[in-house]
Amino acid sequence: MQDGTSARLEIALRTDGRGRRPDSARLRRLNILVGALSLPLFIGLWELVSRSGTVNMVLFPPPTVVAAAVLEWIRSGQFLGDLLASLFRVTTGFIVGGALGILLGILTGQFPIISSLLSPLFHILRPIPPIAFVPIVILWFGLSETGKLFLVVWGVFFTVWLSTHIGVQKVDRGLIRAALMLGTPRRQMLQEIVLLGALPYIVVGLRTAVSISFYTLVAAELAGAFAGIVYRIEIAQQNLQTGQVMGGLATLGLISFIADRLFAALAERTVWWR
Amino acid sequence: MKLALASSSASVESARKQPAIQVSNLSIVFDTNRGQTIAVDRVSFDVAPGEFVCIVGPSGCGKSTVLNTIAGLEVPFEGDILVEGSRVYSPRPDVGMVFQQPHLFPWKSVRRNIAHGPRMLGKSRTEANAIADDLIAMVGLKRFADAYPNTLSGGMQQRVAIARALANQPRVLLMDEPFGALDAQTRAVMQDNLLELRDRIKATIVFVTHDIDEAIVLADRVLIMSAGPGRILREVAVKLPRPRSSSIMVEPIYLSLKKDCLDVIRAEGLRAFNQSDAS
Ligand SMILES: Nc1ncnc2c1ncn2[C@@H]1O[C@H](COP(=O)(O)OP(=O)(O)OP(=O)(O)O)[C@@H](O)[C@H]1O
Ligand SMILES: [Mg+2]
Repeated sequence: MQDGTSARLEIALRTDGRGRRPDSARLRRLNILVGALSLPLFIGLWELVSRSGTVNMVLFPPPTVVAAAVLEWIRSGQFLGDLLASLFRVTTGFIVGGALGILLGILTGQFPIISSLLSPLFHILRPIPPIAFVPIVILWFGLSETGKLFLVVWGVFFTVWLSTHIGVQKVDRGLIRAALMLGTPRRQMLQEIVLLGALPYIVVGLRTAVSISFYTLVAAELAGAFAGIVYRIEIAQQNLQTGQVMGGLATLGLISFIADRLFAALAERTVWWR
Repeated sequence: MKLALASSSASVESARKQPAIQVSNLSIVFDTNRGQTIAVDRVSFDVAPGEFVCIVGPSGCGKSTVLNTIAGLEVPFEGDILVEGSRVYSPRPDVGMVFQQPHLFPWKSVRRNIAHGPRMLGKSRTEANAIADDLIAMVGLKRFADAYPNTLSGGMQQRVAIARALANQPRVLLMDEPFGALDAQTRAVMQDNLLELRDRIKATIVFVTHDIDEAIVLADRVLIMSAGPGRILREVAVKLPRPRSSSIMVEPIYLSLKKDCLDVIRAEGLRAFNQSDAS
């Protein structure tokens, strides 16, 4: 105890009474303040520039006009339908693509014979941007919902498959040997060791896939739809309703931001031992 | 306590005078891209029930390979290995292993790590946890029972690994440089810990190290191996009184034993050096 106090006293003397703590606390408070100002500052600047007359207000409407357009969109009742249509596509596509990706990743990661069969094919298909499949998807599925889901599933699948495959392969051999020595039967190795060992990789893959599912949503809805946020952006563009276009973009940004944050929080809980 | 069982069966075993481990003419050849490597060349030794044998030798002489083979961890070998009288084909729960790295399951708490073995052998969660808690007390980690491995120091992790290996009450405990990654002080503490534990569990122990001091402090018998290919050069019986602790390292008999061992090692080192010079 004695030693601790005198050491602390010595540090306090050497640093002129200011320990490191108060300083870093002040810095942190400043950072929070600046962070809170970031958005209002940006929006204010945007408002000023739009109204200054130096730019065309029809093409570059101020935030107030955008907000009005969004309100109108909500009041017309279309917003809810658009939101639900887009969310449905993203979540269904994500869940189906993610589940398939995890399943096949485990199979190719665990069984060399399945990997030899499927990995070359997957490695050829994976780098093709999902957007490039829009034309063929329209040929195959027309403007149906299946075609849109197909695109999202396609985009999500390969990312999740690859990270699961790598995760399963990278499971520490030492852990497997330790488990064997403790009497873990080989057929239980998957559930006891491999899945948990690969879990951090799977979670990273899924998180990347969240933003990929939104990219592919854009492609899917631009290819032709009857509702959806990107569909609404396209319609507004055709009518030169720039305010609504921007409102749509902001909405898309907001929901993908929320999705990412929700997923990050979920991921933290999934990999509980970190 | 349940662990007392192991000691009584060990004494029955010794009454029958059957070695706990019999290794005869063990050769291990690996196929590498530069042809075949003879890792271990006709190694034979027995370990009596309850005996503590240390294997010392330079890096790469095949100590781990021998241990893995006894453990039944997929190593292609020729010769015969009998553990408790039966041939080894695959890992078995009466043979425990502690590796150089702790290899704890990062997603399990200390208690769950130790309870893993008993769970796999069909014990209920309550039973397995009771076994784990006994062992946690034995290795002095009561405060950390619910901690996850990544929050423990290297020494503590290795204590958990030892406790985990003991949870299935192995008749034979194999230890592959378990203290190799620890600093000198922690190492000495761990050695004393192990000696204490050993008096309680009475398992047969084969302990690999390349620290000659560690070998003499711990063992009843030291096997000195040479490298390229791995062979057994000499057996040294360590007739030091028990219970021991690492403080024995200043006694005259200890020092003369150490000199014996070092002479063997030095002669072999010189031979290997001259050989590599000639070729
Ligand atoms: N799976 C393997 N394939 C090919 N060669 C191997 C394999 N495992 C071990 N060897 C070779 O066998 C020899 C003995 O290796 P081993 O790991 O048993 O040595 P060691 O005595 O434990 O060394 P260290 O003290 O460094 O742990 C080495 O030459 C090594 O290269
Ligand atoms: Mg080794």
